Amino acid sequence: MESRPIRIWCVTLLPALVLALCYFLTAPSQAPLYMAQNAVEAEPGLLQTASLSASAPARPVIFRNATPLSATLLQEYDGGVGQGYLLNLFRRMADSSWSVGLHESRYAYDLIESVHVWALCLFFGLAVMFDFRLLGWTMRDVPVSEVARRLLPWTAVGFVIMVISGTLLFSAIPLRSYQNIFFRTKMIMLMFAGINVWIFHSGIYRRVTHWDLDRVPPKAAKAAGVLSLVLWVCIVLSGRMIAYNWFDCDRQPQPAIVNLLTSCVPRPAQAEH
Amino acid sequence: MSLLGFFQWCESSGIGEAIRKSAWLFPMIEAIHLLGLGVIGGAVLVIDLRLLGLGLRRQSVAQLTREAQPWLVGSLFLMIITGGLLFLSEAIKCYYHGAFWFKMSCLLLAIVFTFTVQRKVIMDDETRIRPVWGKVVALVSVALWAGVGIGGRWIGFS
Repeated sequence: MESRPIRIWCVTLLPALVLALCYFLTAPSQAPLYMAQNAVEAEPGLLQTASLSASAPARPVIFRNATPLSATLLQEYDGGVGQGYLLNLFRRMADSSWSVGLHESRYAYDLIESVHVWALCLFFGLAVMFDFRLLGWTMRDVPVSEVARRLLPWTAVGFVIMVISGTLLFSAIPLRSYQNIFFRTKMIMLMFAGINVWIFHSGIYRRVTHWDLDRVPPKAAKAAGVLSLVLWVCIVLSGRMIAYNWFDCDRQPQPAIVNLLTSCVPRPAQAEH
Repeated sequence: MSLLGFFQWCESSGIGEAIRKSAWLFPMIEAIHLLGLGVIGGAVLVIDLRLLGLGLRRQSVAQLTREAQPWLVGSLFLMIITGGLLFLSEAIKCYYHGAFWFKMSCLLLAIVFTFTVQRKVIMDDETRIRPVWGKVVALVSVALWAGVGIGGRWIGFS
């Protein structure tokens, strides 16, 4: 019983921590305006590519206002501005044959995303049922520890599939995802969700024998349940929103705060003709 | 009115138009739709994992079904409402999209199956039903709901 919380802790917290660390390492760095990958996507004639790689149901409205960047313009910005380590890493990743192949393939990207959605049902669905039990909303007659023992391993399985398929999705569009405000929000909240899991398992859940049979668990457990629900709901919401490019770097002007959060450097005025 | 005519009428409805015009409405409704899918997944899995003997085991299937079914039905309503709104905004596209028809077939089968065959197997005295039937029912149910999920995702891919 003691080892499982540790494992869940590792599985949840580590990837989130790594990604969040990446964010904090590079947030203040100056990013070049935008990347070849997205310039191609924003090119009006290539809507088919866009619909595959941007993972959004390509609604015309999204692309109508996007500024297409010419290749020469990109060259200009490529070397100039100081760049973060991660930015370069993800640019190299975006240029790799793996990444290009993945986001240009007809079915691979869609299939991986389908697996991501299936795993969401497994992970998010069962995690939510456990949270509901912590809130006393369902399965009140089932001991909390039994729900945890029998259902949480499944959520761990689901989480591993989520991380793997999510990493693959990221590797198909690394640069755009990395500079996407929703992606960053999602990673930060993933970290908080991991911390919440850790606090729950190392805190109130250690004394579960005292409240195992409570139809409505004590306040601390309820708080963990509410927090977990809110965080995972926000994670799913922001995950879904990654597909939309409202705040992407190539859609200037954006409020300064958005550019700060996405580490974008807008095009200087003289570049506008 | 022909079926296509009906779909055209849906597409031209005021609600559909309003959703199409707004940049935020469609994504927000879609995100709620996705949350509903997650909750349905959880409720379905609690029941089906029990039938397969892989989830909770000490409680009777009937008891777990009584606990999880309200969440299933509740989020099913949420999904039908949000899904209906999404449909209104792009009915014509759905009409010509194979994934839409696949999803609707799976959905219809899943609902009928859950509330007839599965309910009968669950509510019958457990000793009278051979466990193997419980497992078959669970697998069919998971497959049907998975079909609904993937069909929905593929409506978004063109």
